[in-house]
Amino acid sequence: MPARESAIGAVFETLGFALFLREEPGGLKLAGEAPAWLKEIWPGAAQSGAMLEVSELSPFLENFLIDAGECWTAGGTSRVKSGPWIEGTDLELEATALSVNGQAVLLIEQLGKDFETRKAVLQKARETVIAYQRLNTEMQKKEILLHCIAEDMTGALGNVITSLRLIELEHDPLKTRRLLELAMLATQEQQNIIHRVLDVFADELESLYGRAGKNQADAEVHDVMQRALGAVQSEYQEKRVRLTASGFGTLRVAVDAGHLERVFVNLLENALHATPAGGEVKVRIEAEADTVLLQFDDGGAEIHEEVSEKLFAKFDCSEARPQATALRLHFCRIAIENCNGEIGHTSLGTAGNRFWVRLPGFHPAQ
Amino acid sequence: MIQKKICMIGTSGVGKTSLVARFVSSIFSDKYLTTVGVKIDKKVLTVDGTNVTLVLWDLAGDDDFQRLQLSYLRGTAGYILVADGTRQITLDQLLDIQARVMEAVGPVPFVLALNKADLQTQWEIGKERIEQLTAQGWHILLTSAKTGAGVEEAFSDLSRMLLAPKP
Repeated sequence: MPARESAIGAVFETLGFALFLREEPGGLKLAGEAPAWLKEIWPGAAQSGAMLEVSELSPFLENFLIDAGECWTAGGTSRVKSGPWIEGTDLELEATALSVNGQAVLLIEQLGKDFETRKAVLQKARETVIAYQRLNTEMQKKEILLHCIAEDMTGALGNVITSLRLIELEHDPLKTRRLLELAMLATQEQQNIIHRVLDVFADELESLYGRAGKNQADAEVHDVMQRALGAVQSEYQEKRVRLTASGFGTLRVAVDAGHLERVFVNLLENALHATPAGGEVKVRIEAEADTVLLQFDDGGAEIHEEVSEKLFAKFDCSEARPQATALRLHFCRIAIENCNGEIGHTSLGTAGNRFWVRLPGFHPAQ
Repeated sequence: MIQKKICMIGTSGVGKTSLVARFVSSIFSDKYLTTVGVKIDKKVLTVDGTNVTLVLWDLAGDDDFQRLQLSYLRGTAGYILVADGTRQITLDQLLDIQARVMEAVGPVPFVLALNKADLQTQWEIGKERIEQLTAQGWHILLTSAKTGAGVEEAFSDLSRMLLAPKP
């Protein structure tokens, strides 16, 4: 090996480069000493005088040599870089093909700190783009939510205003009283919407930041269900939907009683809205080994199981359904999952739908 | 043995590397680590009684920071387009990328993997969009590198397309 070539090869080896020179007919031979990484991954090519059998060693390099060949044929000062690639499990390399005084040269470099820095910048940039996209989507959804909330509240407010305007013109005390009752109902509906919205966001915040200082949750299912049934009783009567409950007993679950009552009320309201007038809603409570299962069967139109998961999303991009229902079920999911419970939907075919909740049993020592 | 080159194509953060890791090594990590450049893996798959070695080229995501190098596609027998089902925009961007790929490699077989199927509650790609692409002849699979759902199918379906006799 000529002294000059050997000296250059030694410099490249020190820098972590493998220097190959093309020899005719078509082969690449290592010039100078092999850097440590080359000895590790391609020991055959690292031996003095050995040829680099690219097709056997690296599909990436084999592909790059086609671009390299064009560069060598062009000659002059042209050069072509392969771009980074990973050889083996984690060896990051980059190849450069160039011509030096008519000699075709292939340099393979183990990428070092500069590349790590570049990678870190790219990682950060891409994470930022993904976060921005998610934020953008979330903002769009929030805008839709605000619009839906405004629509819901405007409807109830419109009823209040209409009732008050009619009262202004009404002289019959009985009719005036009836109008006042309607205005009161519309006001309560508005209040319910506000509570529902606050529930959703309060529970989302709790799920994000935890519940500092909160005592171990404990509720008796029977008591909570009785309160929930009482809360929805008048709505059921008004729509003439029969509500039957079975399987009661003393069952304690590790869930906050207030949250559980809201979940039950929401599921009972959900069932009521789905069930046609004159229909029936059945509630069943069953004790399991370590959990308690509650089933709410309604008489509504069948919801196919492929969309079950979406029922509990705050927003449903593909299916149109009332936003109030979406918020109700979304709140239920957040509240149940926060206490390590499960919630789901099962189609009952033409008979309706079953929404079920599985709650963890309460064990004082847990 | 038959050997086929398959490229993983998509914008960044959609789960190309995770799909390959799940398929080749049965592993998954929640941590996002961006790919810079190319990582090549191999796996032998038996499709309808035929052994085929898949040479999987996991290419860096095509985005504003790094463009897909079309020279990497040279000799590819087929490719897997990957989009993140929880980010609609990744499918929009993928359609542009696919047009460039098609121009570079011609009409070679491909499948579309709508990844992150385990995150159904955050899903953004509607059924209508999927049906629309299916009607255009696209073979689409819902995949989850996290649970493994649909992953093996994506690679074996594509392999089956590659091994099918050409008309």
